Amino acid sequence: MSNNLSKEFNIRDYLREDLMPHFLCPGCGHGIALRALLQAVHELEISKDQLAIVSGIGCSGRVGAYIDANTFHVTHGRPLAFATGLALARPDLEVVVITGDGDSLAIGGNHLIHACRRNLKMTCMMLNNEVYGMTGGQASPTTSQTRYTTTSPKGSIEPVFDACKLAEAAGAGFVGREVTLQMPSLKNLLKKCLQYDGFSFLEVISDCTEIFGRKNQLGTSPEMILNQKSSMRPDSYGNIVDEPFRPNFMKTGVLALNERPEYSATYRQHVARQLKSKEKK
Amino acid sequence: MTKIQERPTNVLVVGVGGQGVILVSKVLAQLCLSKGLQVKQSEIHGMAKRGGTVFSHIRFGPQVWSPTIPAGEVDVLVALEWAEGLRWLEYLNPDCGTFISDTQHIVPPFACRNRQRGSEDTYARETPAEIIKKVPNGFALDAAGMAQELGNERTSNTILLGILSTTLDFEIKDWEETLDLFVPPKTVELNRQAFHIGRQWIENAIRTSEVAPVSELYEQKFFPEEKGLVEWEFIPEWCKGCDICVKMCPERCLKLTPDQKVEILDINDCTGCRICEWLCPDFAINIRKPVFIS
Amino acid sequence: MSIKYQNLQGNHACALGAIAAGCRFFAGYPITPSSEIAERMSLELPKHEGVFIQMEDEIASMGAILGASMGGVKAMTATSGPGFSLKQENIGYAAGAEIPCVIANVMRGGPSTGMPTRPAQSDLMQARWGSHGGHPLIVITPGSVREIFDETVRAFQLSEKIRTPVIVLYDEVLGHLVETLPLSGAAHKITERKWADESPETFMPYAETTDLIPPMPRPGDGYRTHTTGLTHAEDGFPTQNPETVVKAMKRMLDKFELHQSEIESYETVCCEDAEVLVMTVGISARAAKHAVKTARQEGIKAGLFRPITLWPFPEKAFKKIISKVKTVVVPEMNTGQLSLEMERLCPKKTKIKSINRIDGEAIAPKEILSLLQSVAKK
Ligand code: SF4
Ligand code: SF4
Ligand code: SF4
Repeated sequence: MSNNLSKEFNIRDYLREDLMPHFLCPGCGHGIALRALLQAVHELEISKDQLAIVSGIGCSGRVGAYIDANTFHVTHGRPLAFATGLALARPDLEVVVITGDGDSLAIGGNHLIHACRRNLKMTCMMLNNEVYGMTGGQASPTTSQTRYTTTSPKGSIEPVFDACKLAEAAGAGFVGREVTLQMPSLKNLLKKCLQYDGFSFLEVISDCTEIFGRKNQLGTSPEMILNQKSSMRPDSYGNIVDEPFRPNFMKTGVLALNERPEYSATYRQHVARQLKSKEKK
Repeated sequence: MTKIQERPTNVLVVGVGGQGVILVSKVLAQLCLSKGLQVKQSEIHGMAKRGGTVFSHIRFGPQVWSPTIPAGEVDVLVALEWAEGLRWLEYLNPDCGTFISDTQHIVPPFACRNRQRGSEDTYARETPAEIIKKVPNGFALDAAGMAQELGNERTSNTILLGILSTTLDFEIKDWEETLDLFVPPKTVELNRQAFHIGRQWIENAIRTSEVAPVSELYEQKFFPEEKGLVEWEFIPEWCKGCDICVKMCPERCLKLTPDQKVEILDINDCTGCRICEWLCPDFAINIRKPVFIS
Repeated sequence: MSIKYQNLQGNHACALGAIAAGCRFFAGYPITPSSEIAERMSLELPKHEGVFIQMEDEIASMGAILGASMGGVKAMTATSGPGFSLKQENIGYAAGAEIPCVIANVMRGGPSTGMPTRPAQSDLMQARWGSHGGHPLIVITPGSVREIFDETVRAFQLSEKIRTPVIVLYDEVLGHLVETLPLSGAAHKITERKWADESPETFMPYAETTDLIPPMPRPGDGYRTHTTGLTHAEDGFPTQNPETVVKAMKRMLDKFELHQSEIESYETVCCEDAEVLVMTVGISARAAKHAVKTARQEGIKAGLFRPITLWPFPEKAFKKIISKVKTVVVPEMNTGQLSLEMERLCPKKTKIKSINRIDGEAIAPKEILSLLQSVAKK
């Protein structure tokens, strides 16, 4: 794929065009995140044949199907588990997990923290839209307090997860967050994720325009995405701890970067050592 | 001897998520209930996202057993979206069924995508005139447009309800009162207006047997006429009219057409900044710039 | 050449069988009484350049082996009661998306946490019907340590060939039983999955081939297909078109029908003229064999029918035998699961007698023998 660079990025080269238009609602941020991923893949000259996309259930999970690559649409909450098997068995593949807030923080929370701990090379892109969109708008672990959903009709009262802090605390070597409005920066972060030798976790703040936006009267699609602008804070701001945790007060950019041994390599070294010591005997 | 009325009346309301299919069917069901009839209503709206197919079967009469209507036995088919209406046509009673449909096209949801590989276009090609000829009684109208004129595009379902009301044997007053129960209090007056707009339309339609024109929206493709340094390429079939590109373009050179597609006002204003391309969630815009080799 | 013998525990035999069959990926989670399989695998796999991983939970280990298998590596996991329940969703995924994998379930007393260290045979129906939605799969019930080894090998062969999850199901007694078996140096037949090799342009990952088993696309080979748990068409993409759905489901069911002769495996003892037939699997069948042989010495026309492939049930073979049989005796360590199957398969006139034990003890030959004797007296 040497001529990739000279070739300008055309998203249609990376899409299953016969499935387009995709089934996301008008204005849904997931589409923008998908573009960022594909552009990152293009710029890193990753071959589509070597790209394996594992996604779970929900609006986020359905995004994978539009990518012209090896795509696996697995069970709810389990994409990281499947991806762990796939990445360990096939270290030659570039494994990317596309998951959502419900998929990876609720039903699949356990897999997320252990994937962070293990540090097996893969990229986990979590599309956080604060809601279960596919099933009609129920509250998720990232639904901000006071927000309306179909299962919090009078406003949500549950505290929320800060997915990035969670991932970092669990040991993820690379943690980042970006909003869809900043597509180019999102793409650059994704490039860093893909290049990171270990488990990289990227939270993408994505708008659910049709379900969550409507229910909470967050305005039209352009208004929603523009609001992301006022919600962004440079690194130095940090999370405002006194406020109930809201996406508006999230830090973006690279939030954690630690060099840690990559699991697959560690495993193989470990095995090689065992075999050697046996030979000596 | 079995009386004719003992056969339940079957009404099928179809559309896509977010259009208000369920409202129409709830009003009808409640009305029947208040008239002491047995009602069975069964619906599908699991794909609750906008664009997912939604339908609701309503059967009423002195005695109703099965909750769903067999194919070919729908007395009135109300479609809030054109392709959805076509999808259910085989359910219409071929001898005396009435087909009422909005001519509005909602692309590109699941509902109307032909998923066959290699298929060119994604939307039903039949024109209203063709369809109206095929069904026993058919009415196609631009309810969405009428609703927009009224000032609230979301009342198109009530307009269709108005039309539905003319095919069933209930008092206008009862329709109105039941409708009031289900719409948000602030919009009661508006919805009543919409309801009557529907009734009026059908009266005219019956008088002049008119068929509303449909826009030829899906035929057109946009390419900038003057080629500047930047080429702005647009895929209308993929665009969902979310308005993001229009509002985000720093040069304000994009515009949403009444068909909910995008057009570029003046290609010479476009700087090729790619913001529209980057933020279009549907990949409908491609910016091409010439490559300079130095 | 003198044959070497070794003492082997059932669970270890399962692990070694897997290695012999070419299994190179194991993901597991500790659970009594199957942990020895994982332990042995963690020792053996590195020697064969395979991957062993202990996952965070049962669900994850099932997910991980499916990931590995989709990547093209033969993979298995092992578990017991509660863990088996947790794995069901992904077992259903494997059945639906037709991903080869092997799951060993060492049965322990239940319900719930039950009796972790005591044997039972109470997952016979769960193994068949555990995942929602109704799906075909293969369940193998070996009856000795030797057979655990052989049948695990066969489980991989079937799984890879037919593209289906295969469950190796035995009870705690067999799992922890140590028996002497010959150490064979002979290589076992390793079944290679049928990989796609046609042009990627026209390739359909779920096409209806003549053997009804579509070749699998290997990631990296240029096929770039989609795998989903949603009901899919031949191209692998989700569909809800009623005709396509029925067609896809039918192919999946017919696949088992077509390869029934390979899948089918059972043992018969003195069935030719049997009037009273014992039908059971696993450890109970061992007791039954003894009882049947003793009964024969006493002149009772007893026989034993032991399915080795329990599901799909070897119906044809069973029906041939059953016509002459007056009474079927079903000893099983549960409250009566196989006897239900017998009620379904036996002619109305056939009497069905159950011996059920749910106290965490295996059924003794004499329990079966005395029932055989009393049946014969009547
Ligand atoms: S429901 Fe929300 S998240 Fe799902 S596609 Fe629609 S806008 Fe996007
Ligand atoms: S490229 Fe920039 S200037 Fe041109 S239409 Fe798009 S947003 Fe506007
Ligand atoms: S952003 Fe894309 S989908 Fe939205 S209106 Fe513009 S072109 Fe259409």
